[in-house]
Amino acid sequence: MEKVLRDLPNYRPNKAPVKKTVKEIIYHIVGIVLSLAFIMPIMYMIATSTKNESAYAAGVGTLNMFLPDFANLGVAFENYGNVLLNYDIWKYALNSFIYAAIVIVLNILINGLAGYVMAKLTFPGKRLLSFMIIFLIVVPVETSIIPLYSIVKIMLGLKQEMSVLGVILPATISIFNIFLFTQFFQNIPKEYEEAARIDGASTLDVFFKVIMPLSKPILATVAVFCFIGVWNDYLWPSMILPSADDGSWPLLPIQTALISIKSIESITTGEIMASLVITSIPIFVIYVAAQKYIVQGFGTSGLKM
Amino acid sequence: MKRFLTSIISMLLAIVMLFSMVACGDNGDGGNNDTPTVDAEGNTIIKIMFHVDKSSTEGQAYQKRISAFNAAYKDQKIKAQAVFKARSAGASGYETELQNNQLEGTLADIITFDAPNTAAYASSGLLYDISELISAEEQDKFYSLNKYNGKLYGLPIQESSAGFFYNKKIFRDAGIDVSGYTAENPWTMDQFKSVCARLKQFGVTAVDMRIDATKDETAPYLLYPFIYAAGGSFVSDDGFTASGYYNSSETAKGFQFIKDLITSGYTSYAIGATDFFTGKVGMYLSSGWTIPDLDNKYREYFSSRDDWGLLPYPKGVEAASATGSWSYAITNNHHSDKTATLELLKWMTSAESSEAITTATGMIPARKDVVKEYAPGSPEYTLLKQLELSGRERPVTVAYPTFSTTFNQVIFGLENGNVTDLLNSATNTLQDAIDKIKNRG
Amino acid sequence: MATTSIIIFALFLCAFGGFVAYDLVTAKRRKEVYRIKSSVTAYLMLLPAVALAFLFILLPILYSLGYAFTDYYLLQPDKINFVFLENFAGIFKEISAKGMLYNAIKNTVTFVIGVVPLQIGLALLLALFVNRPGIGSKIFKVCFFAPVVISLSITAFLWEQILAPGEGGLLNSMLSIFGVPPHDWLRDPATAMPCIIVLSAWQGCGYQMLIFLSGLSNIRKDLYEAASLDGANWWHQFWNVTWVGLRSTVVYILITVFIGACRILTQPMLMTGYMEHTVTLSYYMYNSGYSERLVGESSAVALLMTIFIGGITLIQRRLFREK
Repeated sequence: MEKVLRDLPNYRPNKAPVKKTVKEIIYHIVGIVLSLAFIMPIMYMIATSTKNESAYAAGVGTLNMFLPDFANLGVAFENYGNVLLNYDIWKYALNSFIYAAIVIVLNILINGLAGYVMAKLTFPGKRLLSFMIIFLIVVPVETSIIPLYSIVKIMLGLKQEMSVLGVILPATISIFNIFLFTQFFQNIPKEYEEAARIDGASTLDVFFKVIMPLSKPILATVAVFCFIGVWNDYLWPSMILPSADDGSWPLLPIQTALISIKSIESITTGEIMASLVITSIPIFVIYVAAQKYIVQGFGTSGLKM
Repeated sequence: MKRFLTSIISMLLAIVMLFSMVACGDNGDGGNNDTPTVDAEGNTIIKIMFHVDKSSTEGQAYQKRISAFNAAYKDQKIKAQAVFKARSAGASGYETELQNNQLEGTLADIITFDAPNTAAYASSGLLYDISELISAEEQDKFYSLNKYNGKLYGLPIQESSAGFFYNKKIFRDAGIDVSGYTAENPWTMDQFKSVCARLKQFGVTAVDMRIDATKDETAPYLLYPFIYAAGGSFVSDDGFTASGYYNSSETAKGFQFIKDLITSGYTSYAIGATDFFTGKVGMYLSSGWTIPDLDNKYREYFSSRDDWGLLPYPKGVEAASATGSWSYAITNNHHSDKTATLELLKWMTSAESSEAITTATGMIPARKDVVKEYAPGSPEYTLLKQLELSGRERPVTVAYPTFSTTFNQVIFGLENGNVTDLLNSATNTLQDAIDKIKNRG
Repeated sequence: MATTSIIIFALFLCAFGGFVAYDLVTAKRRKEVYRIKSSVTAYLMLLPAVALAFLFILLPILYSLGYAFTDYYLLQPDKINFVFLENFAGIFKEISAKGMLYNAIKNTVTFVIGVVPLQIGLALLLALFVNRPGIGSKIFKVCFFAPVVISLSITAFLWEQILAPGEGGLLNSMLSIFGVPPHDWLRDPATAMPCIIVLSAWQGCGYQMLIFLSGLSNIRKDLYEAASLDGANWWHQFWNVTWVGLRSTVVYILITVFIGACRILTQPMLMTGYMEHTVTLSYYMYNSGYSERLVGESSAVALLMTIFIGGITLIQRRLFREK
């Protein structure tokens, strides 16, 4: 490992070029081995999605479980075809995209505003609010899902089609995102705002026209994690959404639908994995696309707890 | 300063108003009205809640029976309305829904529930006593009934049974003949052990007892019959005493039998989930839902039914086999007139419905008068006969979930632990849990 | 429910109002100047967040903590009795009798002690590893993050097969090449928790790696140059420049990983079930609240856990606060 660490960009290169090439090669070999250890579940998912039940069972416990069944690739097409054609996956995926889009916009607006206030404005009660932010990050929430359910269903009366709001609204508030926004905004120099203020801009104007454009990294970070959160959530939607009536468009998001699909008796492990591979693709595309910003999002904020 | 305070206060007032507006949607159609819900055309609406997804085969079968009911009862102005609340994400979702319906006063007239929950649901006042409403003659037609404290609270939708799937190829090669062991004439525990011994001698793992399946209900469901077969029990008849039952010497014998299978090397925790299906294990304890898997999914290893068969549970001082599934119950909701509800219950538990639903699900009908013709010796036949002759339900106790976790813990600890110690600790835990619920009154 | 909620809301407002008043009164002493206009704007901008947070986060938490003093039974939601401290008495009885809860505490502590350094260390090493230009390191970075986004049910399923007992387990079959006999990793109390620690660290470290990377990008390059001109070796550079530069990042990661670790639930649930040697506090709460339906008892544990985690977090913040 130490050899690898020597390759930090800042390490002064004063060795001969040959040695450097050798080091490059070692670096990449170590990197590939490490990467394999981390993408195991993906390889396993993809490999299994190409197999039928017997081939899958035969591979369990051997390295074959990470390798696709090349001898019988027709099965792969069959698995993916069955999943895409029979289970309306695209409808549920579209639902998830819509939920995620709404949640991302609202989440950024609501928590961004709050974060801005916490970072830049002085007002009485601020100390209490910052204490509560930490408190709410700390409290375990395992049992609070029971009252939350009552609040959404009974107090707010969100039923039938309205229960979509019950999926979206609780996801739009995130204490942790307020915290991230606060940290990020604190590091934006005052000069930017003051310049705008002199031109007579209101606080909201400052937020939308000065702060937001400067905050792409944190926006990308929050958006990606909102997306991952909405996309991967299954328990809460399954509790509050009604199951689909015949013919009408289903309300369930993708992961909740996947749970029902997984419980279909005739479905094979290969088909389950095929559906999981399909539903993992959007997350990866979005993560890779926003990756550059995510690092900066944490970076400029100099996180303080 | 003054202006600041006024603006703060007016803003807070605005929030309060917002909240009280929101809170107005509170009481829904709850309340305690005794009159049945009636729609615009004067139909009495009966709500029934199912635990499956509507789009599943089972859900579709229910929906069809509901539609047929509505057609048949059009003249009597009764209309059934089905609600589907899939339980796929775990029990918590379904029960949270139930408790909120109770709070709201929107509890369905009929709900489906998992049979082992009978005691907990009945004792908490969720279920309506139907002992008087279902005639003794009608009750006799069911393989099992959901009774608690001698009263009838539910009727099963369908039944399940389990047994030992075995690999006929291995048995043929090892020269083991099990054709004499049938549901009518099950094998004994000793015969079971000697078959295991010969399989071990032949060089395969004898039996997958599923002792590694201790994360959920699988192990309790498949293994509890061994304790009954040994003459043991788990709780008293009223369901409130575990001490002296769960830790009795007979119960210990049942667990000891399973432990012996481990110590003799016939079974182990290390058998892979798919080992039986790839021909590495002689026998596999599982429920009827493994039948379609063996028929369809593992063609390379089991090309036809000549390659596998099903053996019943072995018999001890008595014969016992696994049963149990989901049931229907009428709820204690605010509709005190249960006449129309009873019609729907009778319709859903009728021979016709039973037949239609089990045809869709592939499970065993709950009623004896639904005749399914199976060839003697076929896996389906064995399960059905076994259910009829030796089916025993899981213990009836208000703390069933605790029973289930303690059972899992005992099975988990069997290899290294002493059976008596394990059972004593399980008994204490279960008794504690029972007392906690009992003492609520 | 609605009435109670409004009462809670009113109490919340009173308490909040009290704090606001206190802030106003002590403003002068703290040399703080509050401007009316900016305060009003602040509250108006906070309004959506505060309303939603109250409704969907604080209110459920207050309810569930309030249940700690009741005998709430999931099947009888309309018969909730106030039992004062009975649940807590039960908790201490169970701990002193070394029951399940005792094990839950023990395992949670073991887990936290194991996973916090491991996950942070791993994340830091990975961050240092990929913190260089080039396409290779970019790809590695994506790979290391992969377990964070893959749903836990898949990774748990996979690890189950890796750690499966007997020769059928992948780890066992690989170890058997070196003549190591098969081991039942998840059933043996000595190895179960370490396995869960390793897989949790593996699962989560990609996220902290990103945060470390951003911390690294903030360290001024000239510091390294100055250090190497001084002839500092790799270790000195790391210790005097990198580690110092990462200080606030480390504190932040330490606290968040600690809080997350205290709440571990899914891994033992999916890998072993409700067993003495792997049960954790969150799992205990989940089991008593949902399976056994004793919401009151479960909430009492939640309340104690909140106090405990909160206390430690405060201590950590004190300890690491920058002077």
